[in-house]
Amino acid sequence: MDIKSTLAANAYSGAKPATSVGSAKEGNSAAGLVQSFSETLRESEETAKKAMTGEADPQALVQALAETQLAVEAAVTVRDRVVEAYQEILRMPV
Amino acid sequence: MASLMETLAIATTGMQAQSERLRFVSENVANEDTPGYRRKVTSFEEVVEAGRRTGMVQTGPVELDQSALARIHDPGHPLADQNGYYDGSNVNLVVEIADAREAQRSYEANLRVFDQARKMSQSLLELLRR
Repeated sequence: MDIKSTLAANAYSGAKPATSVGSAKEGNSAAGLVQSFSETLRESEETAKKAMTGEADPQALVQALAETQLAVEAAVTVRDRVVEAYQEILRMPV
Repeated sequence: MASLMETLAIATTGMQAQSERLRFVSENVANEDTPGYRRKVTSFEEVVEAGRRTGMVQTGPVELDQSALARIHDPGHPLADQNGYYDGSNVNLVVEIADAREAQRSYEANLRVFDQARKMSQSLLELLRR
């Protein structure tokens, strides 16, 4: 009985790294992704401001907005996927 | 995805260059009756960044059409010489209209490319959603 519980604890500690939230490298790439996403949003806001004051072309505004739309769509899709996976885990019979 | 984003940027520069061209056409049309006015010719060149060709386009320096100015007979005109002639502009409206139409067509082509690239990336993301 005592041996069994030790084995279980060992197995648990062995399996734990698999559930940790990403390695250092993964964390970096995700952070970079978020960084470039917010960069795209910021750029499009600046272009919109410039277009309103007549500094930028309407073409540049349209391009910035299209890029932002695609970035937001990508982010929303990834978020939906992540939430779906999380719910799938929650539904798992224990 | 990166190349599609580049396509968006390149198509945008194409549209910007064509609208610049249309601006010069409108200047030529507006100055058709200006004595001594030479029509402006738009030149295009590829954008080179850090020695690398980017594929983007921009308008080059403005050039003036050096063809002969029209000699207009109007003895009552203040600029007329003793024979009653003065130098008009060398703008030909037919050429300007053709140039404007060309700019419009090229603008539309760039717009189509832009829309195409946008739709392609959108449908790619759509694939993730199923």
